[in-house]
Amino acid sequence: MLRSWKLKEVVLMSVFSVVFAVVYLLFVHVGNIWSGFIGPIAYEWIFGIWFIVSIICMYIIRKPGAAVYSETITAAIEVMIGNAVGPRLILSGLIQGLGAEAAFAATGYKRFNWWVLVLSGVGAAVFSFAYGFFVSGYSALAPSYLALMFGLRVMSGAVIAGFGGKWVSDGLLATGALRGYAISLDKRKPSVD
Amino acid sequence: MVLNEQLHEMNPAIKFLVVVVSMLTLAWFFNPWTPAIFFVGIVLIQLVCSRINWKLWLLMMIPFVITAFGYLWTTILFAAEAGGTVIWSWKHIEVTDEQFARALSLSFRVIAFSSISLLFAFTTRPVNFVMSLMQQFRLSPKLAYGIMVGYQFLPVVKEEFVQIRHAHRLRGVGDEKWWWQRLFGMRRMLIPLLAAAVRKAERAAFAMEARAFTGEPRTEFFKPVTVRFNDWVLTALFLTLLISSSILGVLLT
Repeated sequence: MLRSWKLKEVVLMSVFSVVFAVVYLLFVHVGNIWSGFIGPIAYEWIFGIWFIVSIICMYIIRKPGAAVYSETITAAIEVMIGNAVGPRLILSGLIQGLGAEAAFAATGYKRFNWWVLVLSGVGAAVFSFAYGFFVSGYSALAPSYLALMFGLRVMSGAVIAGFGGKWVSDGLLATGALRGYAISLDKRKPSVD
Repeated sequence: MVLNEQLHEMNPAIKFLVVVVSMLTLAWFFNPWTPAIFFVGIVLIQLVCSRINWKLWLLMMIPFVITAFGYLWTTILFAAEAGGTVIWSWKHIEVTDEQFARALSLSFRVIAFSSISLLFAFTTRPVNFVMSLMQQFRLSPKLAYGIMVGYQFLPVVKEEFVQIRHAHRLRGVGDEKWWWQRLFGMRRMLIPLLAAAVRKAERAAFAMEARAFTGEPRTEFFKPVTVRFNDWVLTALFLTLLISSSILGVLLT
């Protein structure tokens, strides 16, 4: 999968991962402060922030794997920075990335408009919730409470990761820094439909 | 062979695998004993086989204890039907012993996960971890060295973050009153940071290619990370702990 990637795209992805690893860790602290008071639901409404790097990298690089790799590398860098959540982050990063990747794979890596990005945020939310259901033992919670958690996470994935990711990437595109990446090449191409 | 060096010298990729396997195994248990015994075992192993700063360890455990407490009371208050006898009731809320045991189990699980994560974090050097992933798990060198480049940029990114914030302060932006204003303000911070990151990434990639880095899989490495006999001994030790805590936990309930 990585064969079609240029080295500069790999490095771009990992430098983005560093920036977002720091952002992610900041938000872990935000969630931690709240979670003592309102329980695991504290993380749900901001959960979308932890999917954003896959959407940004895929939107910019537009190659198969961009969502999975970027999310996993971000998790790996969080571990390398030495945060205490540790190696299990890599696993959850991988699963979130797969969820985000699924939406792009389903559209054949051809469409990168807002609804695919939103769908990708939702995909990451669904995958990560299924994983959390297993690892954190959500089955001990009442179904109605679970539904609330799930709804919040999907909303957050759609809004923060989907729309937020597009918003940040479009801002970055406007600076002109992304010349030479798929995102600006596709913009220049006359639209077919 | 020094005993309190063992965990530090353990192969990082194998250690990572041990952590993942332990977590995925613990996730199947809903009794409070299994994660509690596992936690005690991990702390004991760490006491004997490593030399870490325990004061720092305690400090790092605090947020997890808070999280565990959050889990405890949410799982009691919003518990799924589990049967058992009612041990406590208040207005409409009734808590059975079964539900309480599950809630306790989930919060111990948070503590057990954190203990093994901290064990990894305290005894593993980040660069060695990536090198080991490349050499033992055949992580693509393109990706491995890409990660290393990103990791080297960490201090630069931090420096830039401070610079941009200073620049914003000079112009009087970035002191919003409400949290949602600060949330939207993040974009103002992120975009210059990312734009600079793009340029740095390009320069680094050119430099790597100029020095004939192709990213092809290889068999010989500048700094080999090996798997030794002791790695298997430690792995066996962790697995024994995992299995015995699983069995004991089930027997005790």
